[in-house]
Amino acid sequence: MNIFLQLVANGLMLGGLFAIISIGLTLIFGIVKVVNFAHGEFLMAGMYLTWIITVGLGLHPYVTVLAVAPFLFVLGAMTQRFLIQPLLLARDDHVQIFATVGLSTALINLALLIFGADIANTPASGLRAPVQIGPVRILEGQVYIFIAAVLLVIGLQLFLSRTQTGRAIRAVAQNRAAAQLMGINVDRIYVLSFGIGAACVGLAASLVAPLYPVSSTIGTYFVLTAFVVVVLGGLGSIVGAFVGAMIIGLIDSMAGFYIGSDLREAVVFGVFLVILILKPSGLFGTRVSLSHIS
Amino acid sequence: MKLAGLMTTSALALTMMTPQAFAEVTFGALFPFSGQLALLGEESARGLEIAVDEMNAAGGVQGEQIVLERGDAVDNNQAIGEARRLISLSGVKAIFGSYSSARSIAASQVAELAGIPFFELGAVADEVTSRDFKYLFRTNPTADHMGKLIVEMIVEKVAPGLGKAPGDLKIGIIHEDSSYGTSVAGHQERYGKEAGLNIVTTMPYPAATVDMSSMVLDLQSRGVDVVLQTSYQNDSVLFLQQASEAGYKPSAIIGGGGGYSMLPTAEAVGNDVIEGVLDADFTQYAVNTDFTPGLESFVETYRTKYGMEPRSGHSLNNYVGALAILKAIDAAEGLKPDQIVAAVSAIDIPQGQTAAGYGVQFGEGNQNQRASMMGMQWQDGTLVTVYPPEAAAAEMRFAQ
Repeated sequence: MNIFLQLVANGLMLGGLFAIISIGLTLIFGIVKVVNFAHGEFLMAGMYLTWIITVGLGLHPYVTVLAVAPFLFVLGAMTQRFLIQPLLLARDDHVQIFATVGLSTALINLALLIFGADIANTPASGLRAPVQIGPVRILEGQVYIFIAAVLLVIGLQLFLSRTQTGRAIRAVAQNRAAAQLMGINVDRIYVLSFGIGAACVGLAASLVAPLYPVSSTIGTYFVLTAFVVVVLGGLGSIVGAFVGAMIIGLIDSMAGFYIGSDLREAVVFGVFLVILILKPSGLFGTRVSLSHIS
Repeated sequence: MKLAGLMTTSALALTMMTPQAFAEVTFGALFPFSGQLALLGEESARGLEIAVDEMNAAGGVQGEQIVLERGDAVDNNQAIGEARRLISLSGVKAIFGSYSSARSIAASQVAELAGIPFFELGAVADEVTSRDFKYLFRTNPTADHMGKLIVEMIVEKVAPGLGKAPGDLKIGIIHEDSSYGTSVAGHQERYGKEAGLNIVTTMPYPAATVDMSSMVLDLQSRGVDVVLQTSYQNDSVLFLQQASEAGYKPSAIIGGGGGYSMLPTAEAVGNDVIEGVLDADFTQYAVNTDFTPGLESFVETYRTKYGMEPRSGHSLNNYVGALAILKAIDAAEGLKPDQIVAAVSAIDIPQGQTAAGYGVQFGEGNQNQRASMMGMQWQDGTLVTVYPPEAAAAEMRFAQ
């Protein structure tokens, strides 16, 4: 029984980790309708920045979010403005996808050039300390990630439903042309949304860095799962990403123990496929039009 | 006519540009000098360079000074392209390489077809020497040696140190699931079975994993005493951290090369976590130098030439292999491929007479059958050699 509870706890913590990384991805996808393959590399950039500030200035890793999130916001906004936006006019939407693939490879190699192939370690600042809750043991840092993911979901929902800008963002997401006719500056909303999505990754980076050493390829470790989570939850659905992350985390943890470490990915992706077959738009998804013309 | 004239002129120009054999012989140095593997590729090449310097200072090979022509094996395709260039354009008499198994397997095919000797000094995959090539020789220890050494170490040192019979220890093997981890784990199982070890589980996992907590729980619930992990850096760090955080303390953890030998790994997990962890790898520097004659002068030459400490054991092992080969070529009857092959096949250096400790004699598949790895342990923040006893710089420690 204790092992089962520990597996559930591990699964939820893993889910929190996947959730915090996936939320920005689903946000960008839902609004800008661009599948951002450089998402993992945004995370990597944020983690390196966290590492630099933490080691250089001796600050607590969580404090660095004040610099990392704005930095990622700018990086995201610039990606939209200077890379995606010129390509929005391309006849084929796939052009943007390959642009982000290119950006991903460029960022990995840039990091390799600057930081080398070795891992860089953000000081854990006590966040790796295990906490005993009843029969289960989890890490302090994992708990904070989980809480942050919940707060981020609530915060973004409030922002999108209660503020003028949020409503404008949703309007653009629903129908770009109609939103433009209503006087919304669509290009600006796209830049803003991409920036916000990237800033969410910045938050994730500062929280994840003390638990995982960063290397140039760290993004690739997370990004495939992030895509699975986002598709499972329903493209563009923030709550869906959270629930999807929890499901994937729990399956991963259970399958790793009861079925075997070599088969756990087979189980995760098997369940993923079954859910998609039963509910093609994902758990919380509505049919979205991928076209920018809409 | 014009074209023919042009070709004749260029051919003439090429002939004039080709360095005449004015007491100079060119060998290829094929390593990944750029890209992801550049750091250790460069480190490996330095060993070769030091061996060449040493030979040149003593008069070169067969009275000719050695010139190294670099080829950058940044990926498998380029390894092939560079091998072709070295052979057909630079006219090298032999190629030395290559640190990476994949590059080695690709490039050595080119050399084999061209009939040019290819000397592998650092790649570990079994496949390199399992192809029965005539012109390929490998001096360094392999995945097989790693599995063998780990099992020997458990039987001869770890089990007695823990006060148990080897067969009473519960052994758990975990490994990343690419060809590297899978082949080492396969050898561990094979040698383990022969030695009567009780291997209770073998768990492969993808190297790009971000969570090993369920694997740790599995090992813990099976009561595994000795964990063998073959891994890269990220997964080494992840396992050590998650095991320690879950409160799982096996009697011994034995890593295989890669992440376990590197200082950043120790820094990542912290000295208290890595203390006592064992590791099988190429010969490193904290070793009993009676068993590795020439190691100190190698380190000294390295410092003078590159202005820093050796960054890993790769340079040392490449140096040892290259020196043995070059000395044999020096004693050969000429520089024709078959003369080189004959001379190299006759090498017979016993254990304990090279700077890496292992001897050199080529056996099946032209693999150095005297090559061996060493067992290391993290003690007080440094990696020291603890096995075999004749090479040990310190006693193996056990947590009580």
